[in-house]
Amino acid sequence: MMRVNLTLKPMGSWSIPIEAESIIPANFLSGTDLTVWRGNRELGLEEAFSVSVVGGADRAEDVEIVLAGKTARLKRVGEYMDAGKITVLGDIGMHCGNFMTGGTIEIQGNADGWLGREMGGGSIICRGNAADYCASGYRGGRKGMTGGRVEVYGRVGDFLAENLAGGTVIVHGDAGDMPGAEMRGGTLIIHGDCTRPAANMKDGACYVYGTARWMLPTFRNLGTVRHEGRTLIQFTGDVANRGKGNLFVGNYEYLD
Amino acid sequence: MTELLVKNAHVIDPLSGINGETMDIAIRDGKIVEEVSAAAEVIDARGMLTMPGGIDSHTHICGTKVNFGRYMSPEDMRAGRTPRRGPMHATSGYSVPTTYGNSYRYSVMGYTTLLEGAMAPLEARHTHEEFTYTPLQDTMANTLFDGNWSIMEAIRDGDVKRVAAIIAWTLSAVKGFGVKLTNPGGTEAWQWGKNVSCIRDPVPYFGVTPAEIIRSVIEANELLHLPHSVHLHCNNLGTPGNYTCTLGSLGLAPDLNPRRQTLYATHVQFHAYGGSGWKDFSSKSEPIANLVNMRPQVVIDMGQILFGRTTTMTADGPMEFNLYRLHHEKWSNHDVELETGSGIIPVIYRRKNLVNSVMWAIGLELALLTKSPWQCLLTTDNPNGAPFVRYPEIIGLLMSRRYRDAEFATIHPDTGSRVPLPAIDREMDWYEIAVMTRAGQARALGIQDLGKGHLAPGADADVAIYPIRIDEVDPSADYQKVIDGFSRTEYTIKRGRVVARRGECVVHGSNSTLWVRPKVSENYDMGKDPEFVEKFDRYYTVRMSNYPVQEQYLNRSRCIETETEL
Repeated sequence: MMRVNLTLKPMGSWSIPIEAESIIPANFLSGTDLTVWRGNRELGLEEAFSVSVVGGADRAEDVEIVLAGKTARLKRVGEYMDAGKITVLGDIGMHCGNFMTGGTIEIQGNADGWLGREMGGGSIICRGNAADYCASGYRGGRKGMTGGRVEVYGRVGDFLAENLAGGTVIVHGDAGDMPGAEMRGGTLIIHGDCTRPAANMKDGACYVYGTARWMLPTFRNLGTVRHEGRTLIQFTGDVANRGKGNLFVGNYEYLD
Repeated sequence: MTELLVKNAHVIDPLSGINGETMDIAIRDGKIVEEVSAAAEVIDARGMLTMPGGIDSHTHICGTKVNFGRYMSPEDMRAGRTPRRGPMHATSGYSVPTTYGNSYRYSVMGYTTLLEGAMAPLEARHTHEEFTYTPLQDTMANTLFDGNWSIMEAIRDGDVKRVAAIIAWTLSAVKGFGVKLTNPGGTEAWQWGKNVSCIRDPVPYFGVTPAEIIRSVIEANELLHLPHSVHLHCNNLGTPGNYTCTLGSLGLAPDLNPRRQTLYATHVQFHAYGGSGWKDFSSKSEPIANLVNMRPQVVIDMGQILFGRTTTMTADGPMEFNLYRLHHEKWSNHDVELETGSGIIPVIYRRKNLVNSVMWAIGLELALLTKSPWQCLLTTDNPNGAPFVRYPEIIGLLMSRRYRDAEFATIHPDTGSRVPLPAIDREMDWYEIAVMTRAGQARALGIQDLGKGHLAPGADADVAIYPIRIDEVDPSADYQKVIDGFSRTEYTIKRGRVVARRGECVVHGSNSTLWVRPKVSENYDMGKDPEFVEKFDRYYTVRMSNYPVQEQYLNRSRCIETETEL
């Protein structure tokens, strides 16, 4: 096992975020001679972080990266990661786990926008809240997340799992507006409340255990079903998009 | 005085009657000349294929429609990203790239002149501003008149001279080059919730038919002695069985001009469909090509599709709405006041889709079955059929039966029973390709006298040198070499300067815009016509005085004045 401890050095008066797509387990197999970007300036990893490596590994699966310090403005960590583990002790910046295909990212604090965008596999666990566009697709793109699992224990912002095409997204708190918009596959589970779920959905399953507010009128009510000890109301749609998706809600309210 | 001498160029220049001669090309101050002094800079072309700069006679690269394609498809900007490099700006995008992206990629392929296929007059400023940032090509804009209220009223009153006068005023005002009819009458009908199914359906309220619009505008176009003919996008695009409508439309064209065609029908691939629905969809390229073969007054362009992702955009609003109902993907439609409309939809053409496979075959058949290359020009209706960066693939397909067969084996297996392509043996030669990509365009657009599309002394020094030695390459077998060669020039020379070298653009460049000002008598100056002025003030959202595009919007204004019969 190899454990890489990265502690972000105090940024001083810098407010520019650091882009750190190089921080993935596979890259540390050949040492720590990596770079990150702050604005248009390229920094050596050791300029930005205090780095310590314990143990060794010859495959990415055996590498764990632990990120400490004020990492809330550290972007693109875990992009294209395919194996191993990243643990973030605090908050993490935008685009964490973009395109990841394997391995695990665990965030003890909150995650900023675009967590796990277009991921294809692996898992992300966020113990705090996640901001907008969690587990979503790229703007304008046809397919968002295609596989893997994202679990958020707190709340999430708007456009959760937009364009979801595969995999599982679970949120234990509330979600914002438009979760599961343009869904075309996969499973989205929201334990709390949200507004306007599954707009324009084509396929897949969306569960809202709490209350769906501003429920869209373009879903057909199929009656109640039992699901894992809960009684939920099943809808199908989005009829406006000739969709065949399933939307299950605990309660719902139409917009007056 | 700047001088350049291109030595040992293996030249194909159809308008000058040169088919493969090794010669030197002398250039002084942006023009081809007989000879230059010994002080001239020398480029040794080492026997490489040298042609006049490429001309695209129908492409969508600048204007509101293209820009809305960019708005709609932020995901398109993920492709084709290149960083700033030397004089090159950063670019991005694939089917709807940034203006610099368009300009650099065309330049690298040896293109030096572009015609924007459809400019809504009201939105002309936008087109001209984007032209300014398309620095490495000279530009022109076809101006839309398909649903122009004043023109339809003049046609209803049988007054062709008034039609001509309105066209003259509008072209001068918006700095347009040619007359474009996109689904004539159809976009106006669509604003009433209808469409016209073919050329005999009357347009609601106005009561004129597309046939009357096409015929009157052709006559008006010739009264104004415009360099280009009417540029027609036929009614009923993309509908199974629409070939009869296309035959009818092409049959309307009289032979009025000895110097060029009287009707240019664009992206005919989209208009050559047989069958009564998608289930029995088939190719009707043969009857269309036969008609074109018999009518020298007609020139068409292919509108070839290639498999992959792209964006469709046209002023044909109802067609895009139908396409939306087919695909159920993102969609935009737009109305342009008293003039026209537009629609935009991103699409993916797939090999495993039978309809797309047949469409792919039709474009090639049109080119191969039209006997004279001067009458069928190479386009994809960029980006509707495919982004222009894929033109070299089309050249490869036209030059190599083997390549066509290899591609044919990968498309939908039922295609063979619906298209004549497998039976066509023709393989085009270098000369024919030169006609289909520059000389034919120059003649069809009527710009050869302005020094475009040829290399005779006096012509603009727009030259493309491709890294191909035609005596060493058998295009039939080495089609990949042909594709690679046409994808990246060794040198692209624009106005006497090397602008692109082996895939890199080496100067900032500065385009010229060609536009037409027909000279009409006082009686036909629509700017002073009370009825026209009143209509303008009453229905447009802009004042008539704010409507014309000021010349400051044109980077290097190149005005073509025509003597008219008005």
